[in-house]
Amino acid sequence: MSQEHQRDCIEVLIEKARNGQINRRTFIQAMGLLAAAPLAMRSGISWAADGKPLVVVNWGGDALDAFRRSWTDSFSKSTGIQVRIDGAGPTEGAIRSQLASGKPSWDVVDVDSYSAMTLGRDKILQPLDYSVIQRGQVAPGQSHDHGIAGYLFSYVMAWDSEQFGDQGPTSWADFWNVEKFPGKRTLYKWMNGMLEAALLADGVPAEQLYPLDVPRALRKIDELKPHVLSFWSSGAESQQLMIEGEVSMGAIWSTRAKLLAEDSEGRIRWGYDNAFLNASSWAVLSDNPAGSQEAMRFIQHALQPEGQLKLFELLGNGPSNGATQKLMTAEQREADCASEENFKKQIFLNTEWYADNYATTLEQYLTHLSK
Amino acid sequence: MSTTHSANLERSLLLIPLPLLLLVFYLLPFLGVVGWSFTLPEPGIEQYQRIATDPAIHDMLWRTLRLCLTVSTLALVIGYLLAYCWVFSPPFWQRMVEICIFIPFWISVLVRAFGWLIALRSNGVLNGGLMGLGLIDSPLQLTRNETGVVIGMLHFMVPYALFPLLSSMRQLDQRVLLASRGLGAGALRTFWQVLLPQTVPGLLGAFIMVFVFCLGFFITPVLLGGGQTVMIAEYVFLQMFQTSNWGLGAALSVVLLALVSALIWLLLRITRVNRLVG
Repeated sequence: MSQEHQRDCIEVLIEKARNGQINRRTFIQAMGLLAAAPLAMRSGISWAADGKPLVVVNWGGDALDAFRRSWTDSFSKSTGIQVRIDGAGPTEGAIRSQLASGKPSWDVVDVDSYSAMTLGRDKILQPLDYSVIQRGQVAPGQSHDHGIAGYLFSYVMAWDSEQFGDQGPTSWADFWNVEKFPGKRTLYKWMNGMLEAALLADGVPAEQLYPLDVPRALRKIDELKPHVLSFWSSGAESQQLMIEGEVSMGAIWSTRAKLLAEDSEGRIRWGYDNAFLNASSWAVLSDNPAGSQEAMRFIQHALQPEGQLKLFELLGNGPSNGATQKLMTAEQREADCASEENFKKQIFLNTEWYADNYATTLEQYLTHLSK
Repeated sequence: MSTTHSANLERSLLLIPLPLLLLVFYLLPFLGVVGWSFTLPEPGIEQYQRIATDPAIHDMLWRTLRLCLTVSTLALVIGYLLAYCWVFSPPFWQRMVEICIFIPFWISVLVRAFGWLIALRSNGVLNGGLMGLGLIDSPLQLTRNETGVVIGMLHFMVPYALFPLLSSMRQLDQRVLLASRGLGAGALRTFWQVLLPQTVPGLLGAFIMVFVFCLGFFITPVLLGGGQTVMIAEYVFLQMFQTSNWGLGAALSVVLLALVSALIWLLLRITRVNRLVG
């Protein structure tokens, strides 16, 4: 009986070590206590530098499980490097405070492409090693010194066909036209894509968007503001506003729009025309604890088509590696924000503009929202 | 003589952990924050100048004060009525007040905010009920604006207003009220001239306590404000995490703490602590 229990303890320990929940020293000590040191040696668990698991930080929720199934399980299996996924949310401030503490505990972060650029300029992130990561796997413009697109997502226009029948809005000008398309709206609280939408609605041609005319965009947003019910800050919130019919139109993430169309059996409609495509990038903290090479190897692994397809299937995020398209069905390609067909319909958010202007403009934007 | 002396010593030794804890985990880190406010991004008082001159920050501070004042005043009125019921009602109503106060009091602030969101939204329970009764034609906009924030915060703050008021009403000699009625004063006159003046310290204490709590509210305005009701706590979060402007975030924290300290100092001057906590 006690032997059975001991065996179970050993199994639990090995499982924990595989998942990166305990470090090497704890593992060896505990196995030693259970008189299972030889088994510990044969467990096939290898450890990153200093026995620390590689810590990959994302935004939590469903992405925790999806990252594990798409990327980290297979990475640990093929390299023996343990990975721990932390859903703490790598905001710029949180990443900076990691470095400011002098002892960062994060390795790889999933951040907006422009954040990677901003933080790279301040040496908070280390340059990516493009001898390990094959830069050509992603489209030009989706990688820079400190970040490479891990997946793509889009800010799309979604609308309620119960309100407008088949004659739904087709442009951002329609989104702003509350006479022709009555009802409340919802926009994104953290600004990405919203100034662009306002400028397109105001008649600025897509190719002349950047550098953004911020005062003009904000004036246009002020104009719509009485009709904006809520500025959503979480995907779930945007989904709830649409499904409950509280708003008739929303600028929301494509991943949520897809779920809404499915959940409402087609009542909520959406499309990629004039949507805003954005890249979520992999980046590595300066002096990351688990070692630079391990981090770079992980990023290269996460760019492989198989894992990228898996993430698309789980969350609907667009693969950044174009080669993934070949593995997709026609139906999947239609839903994929990164497919060649859909890519052409959309506007790619300008990483440099955001890196230069995000912080100051966001403050102005939020001030306008609160007025 | 020597026994009391050593007892005193023992007692002070037992008290040491508290100031020590505050020093190590609060005061020292806070001094770091004060340091940031004068050094980031460049040394100087630039961030404080910005707080003093930036109209956007004034808007935010004004909104924070306005909401806190509204909530505190309403919480005081409701708290006063509840305290009155609790002290002067028959046992059945006392129990009812206890149930209505304590059960929500133990529910997390996050859950309550979501609850209000569901109850108050345009096709929610309240609007549905009012429309069903024919009292309104179109739904009232009760969430995703300042009204929603006030309702959510008020629900959280009423117990904090109630407790100091309760203790101040319980200390009251009820025979004084009877005497007032016995000498010919009406109910209203007894209230204005006898009851109210004696509960003023409780009222002030409750007001300041609620107001100080309100200043730090974060999640309720975020969830119920529709992204359009940024108060100081969220603004500081924004500076720390979204725009990485740590200097301004730190300076605003210092301003907030100064404001809170001033209010607490006022509280201690106006009313003795023991009366407040009963």
